[in-house]
Amino acid sequence: MRRRLAPVVLAALVVGPAPLSAEELPLHGFLQAASAYRLIRPDRCPHTQRLACREEFVLGEGRARVEVEPRGERWALSAKGELIGDAVGGEVDGEFREGYLDLRFPALDLRLGRQIITWGVGDLIFVNDVFPKDWVAFISGLPLEYLKKGSDALNATGHWGGTSLQLVLIPRFEADTLPVAGGRLRFHDPMAAVEHRNTDDPSPALERTEAGLRLFRNVAGWDFSLYAYRGFFHSPGAEVEPGPRLRLFFPPLNVYGASVQGAALGGVWSLEGGSYDSRQDRSGRNPSVENSSVKLLGGYQREIVPDLTLAAQYSVQVMQDHDAYLSTRGPGMARRPAARHVLTLRVTQLLLHQTLKLGLFVLGSPNEGDFYVNPEVKYNLTDALWAALGVNLFGGPRRAEFGQFEGNSNLYAVVRYAF
Amino acid sequence: MKRLLLPLIAGIATGALVAFAAWAQAPTAEEIMRRSHLAMYYPGEDMRARVTMRLVSKDGGERIRGMVLSRRNLQEGGEQRYFIYFHRPPDVRDMAFLVWKYPARDDDRWLYVPALKLVRRIAASDKHTSFVGSDFSYEDVSGREPEEDTQKLLREEKAGGRDAYVVESVPKDAGSAEFSRKLSWIDKATWLPLKEEYYDRRGDLTRVFSAEELKEVQGYWTVVKRLMKNVQTGHWTETVLTDVRYKLKLSPDLFNERALRAPPSELIR
Repeated sequence: MRRRLAPVVLAALVVGPAPLSAEELPLHGFLQAASAYRLIRPDRCPHTQRLACREEFVLGEGRARVEVEPRGERWALSAKGELIGDAVGGEVDGEFREGYLDLRFPALDLRLGRQIITWGVGDLIFVNDVFPKDWVAFISGLPLEYLKKGSDALNATGHWGGTSLQLVLIPRFEADTLPVAGGRLRFHDPMAAVEHRNTDDPSPALERTEAGLRLFRNVAGWDFSLYAYRGFFHSPGAEVEPGPRLRLFFPPLNVYGASVQGAALGGVWSLEGGSYDSRQDRSGRNPSVENSSVKLLGGYQREIVPDLTLAAQYSVQVMQDHDAYLSTRGPGMARRPAARHVLTLRVTQLLLHQTLKLGLFVLGSPNEGDFYVNPEVKYNLTDALWAALGVNLFGGPRRAEFGQFEGNSNLYAVVRYAF
Repeated sequence: MKRLLLPLIAGIATGALVAFAAWAQAPTAEEIMRRSHLAMYYPGEDMRARVTMRLVSKDGGERIRGMVLSRRNLQEGGEQRYFIYFHRPPDVRDMAFLVWKYPARDDDRWLYVPALKLVRRIAASDKHTSFVGSDFSYEDVSGREPEEDTQKLLREEKAGGRDAYVVESVPKDAGSAEFSRKLSWIDKATWLPLKEEYYDRRGDLTRVFSAEELKEVQGYWTVVKRLMKNVQTGHWTETVLTDVRYKLKLSPDLFNERALRAPPSELIR
């Protein structure tokens, strides 16, 4: 995932003299310091997660971001790279976050290279957005933009008479970044006793290229989209092999879905649905592969008074073949209900000429009992400098989606100077 | 030659009649505000300008918002589309904002967040929300329908050395505006507002708008420098328009999700 920064620096040198309007610097980026203090110490950690019990800080790092974006009439280049100094782990690393070429034709937009792709209408609930995510960054208290990871992709969107069709091809699979054994995050690991693990090469051969299609159109102010995806689960399934050894792999997945979003009755309404077809486990009897399921999401957002916005969402994920799942479930694995219900609420208040932002995000599952609460204060001290202070609080049953992260609950602070 | 003569005579006669009518009676308050609305928010079929907003607090703290604003009318005085591409501050660089404005109902608004490559719908129920934290509200940027207020021509007087009509506007629906009364000084020559005073429900002066500089661009008079001062907080905003261009033949089809995700060069510079 992480690449050396050299290509970015090289790109900066090459495109430096490109013609740009005088008042715009050709070079942008930021310097950022972020730290997150563990609020809830896990009472005990399995051997494979001993760092989680030892480290007081889940995050402590500095980043330097460089962005170069030369642009012509019909093309644009974008390169974003970071140098990261991790104080907790004591290492320095480079990351090539995005680097792509945009070509614009009369009825076609092409984007080639490493890019972030976002689909769907959910707020931290993803139905048709199957593209890779960095959950470690999210749990650790980094700014939300780090939740999305780049994909090395060909992205073509054609436009005909108000209707658009987007085709995404990803030849090199990029998995979600999840807490892993040996890391500093606490998570539910039913196979904690098995220390010897390996992950199947997540970069499949060319014929296993991931493909996504999105057809979209605005009708009378409402945004309609249809989605189709053929690829893989981005979080791995796990299987114990003789040894014992844990094999992690990415099972094949198809997703078909639709979404609509528009304004009515003084607010914005969102609706999204998706059907997950777990191709390797259509009977639901394979305990190491996620069953097929259906996900639905509804949301409403409204500005109550100037600069105060409320947003609420409800979502449900219904597992197919739940009986088969129950009868084949391995020991130590979570006993998940057939339907997982989730409610979210987001309150955002802007103050002091929109330079001070008070935010609260609450997500909870009424039937599984796990939750995530994120209050945050963000202040723009100047146009270039902002600081944020917040809490990531996870809780609920230890085996539930957010409950397993309780021991990573943190108080975080981020300061960023952008140029 | 004969074929030209008739229209010429008709033209002169019409002109004379209009001049006579104007001399005979001043336009009504409704006409003044309607013409002012068109002169301020609808000139040309489309327009694009570089907009720099300087937000200054009472103690002199300053923040700068730099953007390129493009507008396209679908009908004169009716539906419009706006596209705003932010260049400054660095925090919002490359962010884009799309508005489909309807005279009789809530706008459709979209925001593009470049870091997440995310197009987000924005609730637009309140038009009095400040635009990017400035002293201008969304309504000040894209205009309030003159029909929403009861208009009254109070007097004629000079404002900034120019002859002006002074019109009082009172919202027909008190909940539809953040002011209870507004006084406008409308330039007789260009129909542009030279000055506006906003009063709150208690009758106290809250905000004062002033057109600091007028400029004729391609035959359209434009307020290229405008000031909005909140007299109660001491905070004020100066908006300067540069590189103003009209009649660029911007297609209405440019103002859509495609532009948010991959903005064409004509909308960003």
